[in-house]
Amino acid sequence: MKALHQRQTIREVAIQMKKSWKSVLATVLAAALLAGCGANGGNSGGADSEAAASGSGGSGEAKNVTLKVFIGAPRFKEHFDKFIADFAAKEKAEKNINVSVQLEMPNPDNASQILKTRLASNDAPDIFALHAVNEIPSFYKAGYLEDLSDQPFVGKLLDSVKPSVTIDGKVVAVPLETLSWGYLYNKKIFADLGLTPPQTLTEMKAVVEKLKANNITPFLLSYKEAWIPQLFLPLAVGAIVNTENPDFIERMNKNEGSFSEMKAMFDIIDLVNANGTDKALEVGGDDGAAAFANGKAAMWVQGPWYAETILSANPDFEFGVAPLPINDNPDATMINLSTSTSLAVSPASKNKEVALDFINYVLDDKASNAFYQALKFNPVAKVHTFETYPWVNDAMAYVKEGKAYQDPSMPQSVKDEVGKGLQAYFAGQIGQDDVLSALDKAWKAFNKVNK
Amino acid sequence: MEERGRRFLSSILLYSSADFRRGEIGVPLKRYKKYVSLLMFTAPAFLLYAVFLLIPTLGGMFYSFTDWNGLNKSYHFVGFANFAEALGEDSDFVHSLWFTLKYVVFMVVLQNAIALLLAVLIETRTRSKGFFRTVFFMPNMISIIISSFMWTFVFTQVLPQIAEKTALAFLDQSWIGNPSVSFYSILIVSLWNGVGYMLIIYLAALQGVPQHLKEAAVIDGASPFQRFLHVTVPMITHAITICFFLTLNGAFKVFEVVYGLTGGGPGRSTQVITLNIYEEAFSNNFRYGYASAKSVILFVMILIITFIQISVMKKREVEA
Repeated sequence: MKALHQRQTIREVAIQMKKSWKSVLATVLAAALLAGCGANGGNSGGADSEAAASGSGGSGEAKNVTLKVFIGAPRFKEHFDKFIADFAAKEKAEKNINVSVQLEMPNPDNASQILKTRLASNDAPDIFALHAVNEIPSFYKAGYLEDLSDQPFVGKLLDSVKPSVTIDGKVVAVPLETLSWGYLYNKKIFADLGLTPPQTLTEMKAVVEKLKANNITPFLLSYKEAWIPQLFLPLAVGAIVNTENPDFIERMNKNEGSFSEMKAMFDIIDLVNANGTDKALEVGGDDGAAAFANGKAAMWVQGPWYAETILSANPDFEFGVAPLPINDNPDATMINLSTSTSLAVSPASKNKEVALDFINYVLDDKASNAFYQALKFNPVAKVHTFETYPWVNDAMAYVKEGKAYQDPSMPQSVKDEVGKGLQAYFAGQIGQDDVLSALDKAWKAFNKVNK
Repeated sequence: MEERGRRFLSSILLYSSADFRRGEIGVPLKRYKKYVSLLMFTAPAFLLYAVFLLIPTLGGMFYSFTDWNGLNKSYHFVGFANFAEALGEDSDFVHSLWFTLKYVVFMVVLQNAIALLLAVLIETRTRSKGFFRTVFFMPNMISIIISSFMWTFVFTQVLPQIAEKTALAFLDQSWIGNPSVSFYSILIVSLWNGVGYMLIIYLAALQGVPQHLKEAAVIDGASPFQRFLHVTVPMITHAITICFFLTLNGAFKVFEVVYGLTGGGPGRSTQVITLNIYEEAFSNNFRYGYASAKSVILFVMILIITFIQISVMKKREVEA
């Protein structure tokens, strides 16, 4: 009797469960449908792996930690996967922590957008990548960056790189990708004509004349995309700020300066524009890289980030990186040092200890060298001793002589404005003063918005 | 049709009043039930519509009154300051507004005129009708952004090459680099891509023009042009209304063609409103609130203009 009763109860419960299962299932389905539409593909595996990680616990006293890492560079997935596996092994061996890393690598075009949405909705990844020069100031101001100044990796950073990840005297990110650039030149053309990279504007004019006398177009122009003419601004402002006008950016931030102080930058811009290839406004970056690789011009105001594209258009091509002369002061002819992709830690991270371990592991004495070499990044720390590309060596030679400066920190809106302004200037729609006053206006607007 | 509808309606009334007399279910409840079932049927679509369109739209309207930058956790209400700034001080926005209006005028007229012309010509064919219909509709099946990249290649590489090989010197233009020419380049690509769709609508409408009316006009001695103007056009006014609505709406919201061809450049000379909004929100100072205000302005503009267009054109529609 008792057994029967029990069985009945069990059946009832089972039926009830079945019923409630149905409704639960329906709800879950509906929720999954909605969530599936909204969430991006890269994240869809998230919940599962987290559950799996916490479920597999129980072996010994090992702690389980799931680290969320967000890096908008899917082309490096293989390298990061390997590096993360090494890191997990190290944590297991040294601290007895089972680390499972949930690596999210969205397309770089919308990575920044996704990251911002995450941060704004309190769903911050433990570690995320951001652009050092462009994004650190606004992220720092919004309180999304952990202060890393007292971490061991800080001591290993090269002095030339450290300022780019420092804000308000605090180191807030570990740099991955750094750039040292000025303009690119065709080594073969220069060698054939016995030319060397000029150190002053006058010397540059002589080089241009000599190239023209030999029927070679001096400069490649590719102004279809506004960010390419924009490159003149960091080069010119960087050079002038680091020689004769050191407090320009500070004063601009206080609405006390004006770009009319920078009018001298049109000397080099006019020289380049007057001696360039045809139909500049129809040539984009990739087309420009192909044209440059095929020897259409001797110089290109562009950075070595196009190395891969150039070499894929012409694998035997040899090019060098040299500082662009702005005026007749040879000391102002310097390489621009900039940092792009960097890794930061979220202050909201629940696994901060492991996150900090990971950040330090990026510049680990043993592992870091091979990692940076595999990623084809430049050395950023004293632990990096690998052989670099010839064009990186070219630039590093200038850096070692002290002929380099930190990429000046200017608002993104000013950089956008100068790109558009120089396009219109090249098309003959506006004059020099119009470009400069538009820049003043853009910087004032930035100050107003970011009070 | 109308008769059947009336009978149906009266049967419902009878039925419900019978219920009412029996005192089981009141009329209001019955009606309420009807609406519930109607709501249930539309719920799946409405839910998705609300979650992905209605709520974000209302959110955008809300943010248009703030100075939110898309990243900060806090923001302030600024009232109508964003709207005043957009229309008063922002010369780039006003320029993009005029540029868009110019584009809209050209697009609405040309797209409809060309589509109608092609539709009439295709309608006169007998056996090759399907072939031409497919050929002209084909560009519409390619996504706009891809077709604008394709045309970038045509404008920068193919046309100058042709100009070099043949003697057609006028083809060697700075098609997308010169602001006065690039407006027409944008038009060419938009038309190439958009005419096909309108063409299909016009074709369907032309096939619906009753044969007996045309024959009567022929017997009355009307010339082909008169037949077109006085018989065909009035009979396809409903299609014209739809096509004007679609082209007007689409032309105001143009983005991909300009983005793909010129990126709004050189400078801002070919910048349309949507590009200006995009730039404000995602690349300049990340002023989401301000960009939302600009979007609301665009929305109100489209709303008013299409409303006027529909109400004017609806009056002119006739039925056979």
